[in-house]
Amino acid sequence: MSWRNSLIRHARRHTLTTLKLANFAFAIHFFAEYVAAIEYPSGPSMLPTISAEGELVLDNKLVCRLFPERLLRGDIVTFVSPLDPQRVVCKRILGLPGDTICVDPTGEKAPSTEHVIVPAGHFWVAGDNAAWSRDSRDYGPVPVALVKGRLVAKIWPLRNAAVFRNPSTCIS
Amino acid sequence: MSTRLNRLRELFRASKQYVRDSPPLKWTFRVLYWSPLYMAFVHYGYTIKYVNGRSMQPTLNPNSSLGKDLVLFDRVSTKIRHEYKRDDVVALYSPINPRLMLVKRIIALPGDIVKTLPPYPIKEVVIPPGHVWVEGDEPFHSEDSNWFGPVSQGLIESKLTHILLPWDRFGPLDGVFKRTPQRGRNWSAQSDEFQRKKKREVRVTPNPEE
Repeated sequence: MSWRNSLIRHARRHTLTTLKLANFAFAIHFFAEYVAAIEYPSGPSMLPTISAEGELVLDNKLVCRLFPERLLRGDIVTFVSPLDPQRVVCKRILGLPGDTICVDPTGEKAPSTEHVIVPAGHFWVAGDNAAWSRDSRDYGPVPVALVKGRLVAKIWPLRNAAVFRNPSTCIS
Repeated sequence: MSTRLNRLRELFRASKQYVRDSPPLKWTFRVLYWSPLYMAFVHYGYTIKYVNGRSMQPTLNPNSSLGKDLVLFDRVSTKIRHEYKRDDVVALYSPINPRLMLVKRIIALPGDIVKTLPPYPIKEVVIPPGHVWVEGDEPFHSEDSNWFGPVSQGLIESKLTHILLPWDRFGPLDGVFKRTPQRGRNWSAQSDEFQRKKKREVRVTPNPEE
């Protein structure tokens, strides 16, 4: 009788522990998903702002969930890649809805005379390293609903740590 | 310093006891404490929601004056398995307004060639990788890919699997043919559904590499 009781007690206790662990893990996960997260970007498309690897950045997820209209030209955003829904990519916003954009001034991926108007609810994005970036020149404007967060600061390595200030001055 | 810390600890203990003693507070805290697990179930599992609007008539809300359909939304197949099939009914964020959700049917997958319908400027479209072509079942009241072009799969939020309410249409959304009898009132609806399916299939040339 006693061993059965102890078994039941053990099972109950461990179930509760497992559930609590899962609960804690999901709490962290949803905090990272909705409030803020530290991320490890990789790839050369945002050079020289973000190096190809070995840096950590702080990603503000709250702002674009609550106020997507606060994203401006010059902000660095992370979004789900339109060409591959399982990848998250990081680019800089170039155009807001209603802007007229020259698709590619260098004439490499499109004739340099081609212009488009960014449709409502979309952003025009581009990597800082235009020569090595797949961005709106390839897949066109990106819907706002794909945007996951805005990069706030670079936090690692410490000697390169910096806050990403919006460099754009708008003449409209 | 240590006395101040002690006082804080005392305060914490007292408030804990206070919460433990009052059932409503205790239960609020308990619910808050376990909310991440609930959120996980909602985000990566299943939810039940009402569907608005008439763009999916007659599959959903066939008679909009009689009220809305209660539908089971499945996120396992979209957010974890990432599988999308033709003829799936999905809920997606509108590419034009991120605060709006649309319920549409997937017509074509990446690589397919679609014959578009009037508002779209081009006659035939090849769906780019990672995109789908979505349309409502009701061609006249639906703002779909014929308006805004192919949409990215990342916008698809969940898949609609079962109608739960009203009771007389309870059942899986993709199994309309299987569950209904051969004759009777449902038979004409069934053949209509079949006709619509054929019409959709005629407009799509599947990706040859599949």
